[in-house]
Amino acid sequence: MTRPHNSRRAFLKSSVYMGAWVLSIQLPSQAQATSKARAKTQVNLKPSPCNQDWCIYVQINADNSVTLNSPIMDMGQYMRTTGPMILAEEMDLDWRLIDFTPAQPIALARNDKNDVIHAYADINTGGSMAVHNNWDYLRKAGARAKQMLIQEAAARWDIPTSQIRCKNNFVFDSKSKRQFSYGELAEKASSQQVPDDSFKLKDSKDYTLIGTAKHNIDLLDIVTGKPIYGLDADIEGALQVVVDRAPAIGAEIASYDKKAALAINGVSDVIESPRHDVNHWLNGPEKIQVIAAGVAVVADTLWAAMKGKRALKTQWKTGEGFKNQDSEAQIKSFYQTIADDKAPAQLSKNDGDVDKGLAEADFVLEQYYEKPLLAHACMEPFNCSVELKKDSATVITGNQFPHQIATIVEEVSGIDALKVSIHALRMGGGFGRKVEGDYVREAVVLAHKIKKPIKVTWNRENEIERDMFGSACVARVRAGIKNGKLHAWHHRQSQNKGGAQDNNYPQALVPHYKSEICHSSSDIPMGAWRGPMHLQWAFAVESMYDELAEKLSLDPLQFRMNLLKDLGETPYHGYGPSISDARRMAACYQAAAKMADWDKKRPPGTALGIAGHMTHGSYCAFVQEVSVSKDKQLTLGTAYGAIDCGIAINPNHIRAQMEGGYIDGLNAALFNKITFEDSRVVNNNFDKLRWIKMKEAPITVESHIIKSDLSPTGVGEPPTAPAAAALANAIYAASGQRIRRLPISESISI
Amino acid sequence: MIKFTVNQKTVEADDDIADMPLLWFLRENQNLKGTKFGCGIGQCGACTVHMNGNAIRSCSVPLATLANADITTIEGLASKVGADATTSYQVGSSKQTETLHPVQQAWVEGDVPQCGYCQPGQIMAAAAFLKQNPAPSDQDISEGITNICRCGSYVRIRQAIKNAAKNMS
Repeated sequence: MTRPHNSRRAFLKSSVYMGAWVLSIQLPSQAQATSKARAKTQVNLKPSPCNQDWCIYVQINADNSVTLNSPIMDMGQYMRTTGPMILAEEMDLDWRLIDFTPAQPIALARNDKNDVIHAYADINTGGSMAVHNNWDYLRKAGARAKQMLIQEAAARWDIPTSQIRCKNNFVFDSKSKRQFSYGELAEKASSQQVPDDSFKLKDSKDYTLIGTAKHNIDLLDIVTGKPIYGLDADIEGALQVVVDRAPAIGAEIASYDKKAALAINGVSDVIESPRHDVNHWLNGPEKIQVIAAGVAVVADTLWAAMKGKRALKTQWKTGEGFKNQDSEAQIKSFYQTIADDKAPAQLSKNDGDVDKGLAEADFVLEQYYEKPLLAHACMEPFNCSVELKKDSATVITGNQFPHQIATIVEEVSGIDALKVSIHALRMGGGFGRKVEGDYVREAVVLAHKIKKPIKVTWNRENEIERDMFGSACVARVRAGIKNGKLHAWHHRQSQNKGGAQDNNYPQALVPHYKSEICHSSSDIPMGAWRGPMHLQWAFAVESMYDELAEKLSLDPLQFRMNLLKDLGETPYHGYGPSISDARRMAACYQAAAKMADWDKKRPPGTALGIAGHMTHGSYCAFVQEVSVSKDKQLTLGTAYGAIDCGIAINPNHIRAQMEGGYIDGLNAALFNKITFEDSRVVNNNFDKLRWIKMKEAPITVESHIIKSDLSPTGVGEPPTAPAAAALANAIYAASGQRIRRLPISESISI
Repeated sequence: MIKFTVNQKTVEADDDIADMPLLWFLRENQNLKGTKFGCGIGQCGACTVHMNGNAIRSCSVPLATLANADITTIEGLASKVGADATTSYQVGSSKQTETLHPVQQAWVEGDVPQCGYCQPGQIMAAAAFLKQNPAPSDQDISEGITNICRCGSYVRIRQAIKNAAKNMS
C-alpha cells in the first residue's frame, strides 16, 4: 500500500505539557510499514514477518533531567535498556540524567482490514528482531529531536545550525563558550519544525553511548523485589480463580465434586472452562488443542480457590477422536520414517544431485541425531487478570505479542478491541512461549462467564503440561567426502511439527545438497522454543563436522576453516537475514578457539569441543572445555564464546545473553526432556524434570564480541543453538564417547 | 492464632489457614510480592525467605510451623543488617535510590538479573549461604546454591556471591 512520504519516516509530535517539553515519538503503524523503507538501511536483512517497532516517549524537564518510557516488552532480553540507548545516542542525552519509568503503554488502532494493530508502534518481541526492527527508527527519532533543540539554540544565538554541537543534554556554540541545557531549550524547541533533510545520523565512530556497558534499567526494582510482574499485579476487587485443567491432551471432564469445592470457606462459584482447539502457525493444517478443558474455582482468596480445586477431585475421560500421544513412540517412529527412503517426505532443498554426489564420494558417513521435546518452563507461571465492563476492558499479564490480547477480548466478549486497556508487564521469562495467547483467552472466557473482575493463577504442573513444546526431532545425515572435501550432504529429518533450518550451513558449502522433511502425525502442540529448530540443526551438522574431521584426520577447527574458506556472502532464504556470510562465521570459530587456546595440550580426560551457528542474522561459535573422569563422570569447564551481531549496542548485555543463552542451550543438551505417556506429561515439575543448576553450569563463560559496523542483529537466541554440539564434541574429544542423542545426561553421568 | 514476625513486624494468622504455605501468606495476605512462586514443591527456590536466619522455601512451609518464628523477605533484607553494612545505590538520575544489603549491592554491581523473576530468591539464598560460608570456594557455591535460574544467569550469580563475600569480610 502507499502512504504519504512524510509518514514513511519516524516523525515527532511535541507539545508543552506541565512545564516540561513532552516529546512523543511515533512510528508508522504496522500496516503502514513498507519493506522498501527498511531495505534502504538494513541491506543484509529482510523485513520481519512481524514488524516490531517501538513507541518511545521522552520528556525533557526544565531541570534538564529526562523522563523516558521504554515500552518494548522485556522478558530478560534487555530490550527495555537497549532501545533507550539507541535513542539517547542520537539525541546526545546524558544517560545519568534519565529517569526510566516502569510504564509500557500500548496504544491500538485498526488497519484497513480491520485487524487490531499498534497505533504508533509495534512493541512485540520475538525472533531476536527487536533490535534490528527498531535500530533505524530510534536513531532517526533521536536525531530529529536533537535537531529541534539545535534549531532553537541557533535561533536564540542567531548563528547557523552547523555551528552547534551537542553533548550530554547540552547544546554548545562551537565558536564561543556559550551553551544551553536541553532543559532551557525544551519548551520553545518543541515548536520547531524540522525539515527531513536537515539532520543526519551519527557516524558509528562518533558513538559515545552505543558500545558502552550499561546496566539493566530495572535492576533496582528486581533486586529489591518490587511488584513488576503480572503475577504481582491485582485488579482491585478481583476474584481469584484457579483452574483444574485436564492433564492429558484431548481429555474431557468426566466428573467433579462441585459441592465439596463450594463448601470451602471463600469459594463462591465453580464453573467449567471449555477446551479450545485452533489452527496454529507451526502445527500444520489440522487444529490443535491449545486450551485444556478444565474446572474453574472462583473464590475471595487465592488460597481458598486452591483448596477448592483440591476438593473437586476431578475425574477425566479421553476426548472423542483423540489418539494416544506417547513421545517415546513418536521418536521411534521418526527414526523409522527417516530410515525408509521410500517414506513420503517434503523436498525442502535440492542443490546439485545428492545421489550422484554420494556415489562419487570416497567415503560416506551416515549418522542419526536425536533431540527430545523441550519445555519452556518460564520461571513465572502463567497468570492473567481480566476486568470486562459494558464497553471497555482491562487485562494485566505478560505477553510477547500484547496486541493480540485486545483481539482475544473482542472475539470472546464483543467489546471493541480498541477499548481494551492492556497492561503488559515484565515477563518472568518468555523463550517463545509467551508469543501464544492461550492463557489470556482462557482467562477472558472465564471473566466473561463470571461477569466480575478475576485473576487466574496457574500452577507449575499445568504450565508444563499445557506447554507448546519445542519439537522432538530425529535427523539422519549422510555426508560424502571426495578428495578430502565435503562433496555431498543429504539431510532427512522428522519431528513433531515444523521444518528444518536447512537454509543454514552446510547449504552453500557443498556442491550436492538435499534436505527432506518427513511430517509426523503427532498431536502434541508445538510452539517457538528459543531459536526454533536451530538447536537440532546445529547439533546434527556440527556433530557430523567433527565425525568427518576425524575420518579425515583433520583438526575440527581446521575442517571448519577449510569448509568456509574462499566463500563470502551467499543468499539465505530462511527467517531473518537475506544472506549468510562465511567470513563472519569463520571469524567466530577462530575467535572462540583463540580464547580457549585451542592447540594447547590438556591433561588426559580433559578436552575442547567446538560448534557454531547463525541464528536470525547473528553468528555465534562456542568452545566448551569438559573433563570426563575414568568412571565416566562429566564436568563442564570454561566455555568460550564469540558472537558477531553487527554493531554491539550494549556489550554488557550481549555478554549476559552469551552466558544465559548458552547455558539454556546446555540445559537443552543435558536435561530438558519432556516425556508424554498416555497423552500426558510424566515429568510436570522440577522434581521430575531435571534442570541445570549452579553445580552443572560452567563456572565461567568468556565472551568475545566481534567488532563490526554492520546494522545490529539480535542476541537473545543466537548463543543457544551451538551448545549441544559444542558439548557433544568436547565429550567425544575427552572420552571417545560419541553422543548423538539428547539429553546427554541419559548417556553420561553429570 | 499463629503469631510470628515478618521483617521485624509481628503478624497473626488465623488457625483456619494454618495449612497455607508461608509463600501465599506473604504474597496475598501481607502484600509482599517480592517472594515469588515458581514450582510450589520446594524445588526451584524462587520463594526463598529466611526463617530465624536460615534459608527456607516458603512454598513448602505451612503457617502452622511458624509460631514465634522470625521471617525475613527480600523487602526486609536490607534493614535486617546493621546500617553500616548497607549502602545506598543510585541508578540513572537521583530519583530512585534504594538501601541495599551487601548481597543486593553485589547483584547490582554485577548486573546479574535477566528476566529477574528468580532473583529475589537467589539473593535470599545467597545471603543465608554467606552467613554459613563467609569465604566460599567455587565448590561450596556449586553445592550450596541450588536455586534454578531459568535464564541461566549462574555465571553472574556465582561472581556476585564471591564479590559479596569479599565486601562483607
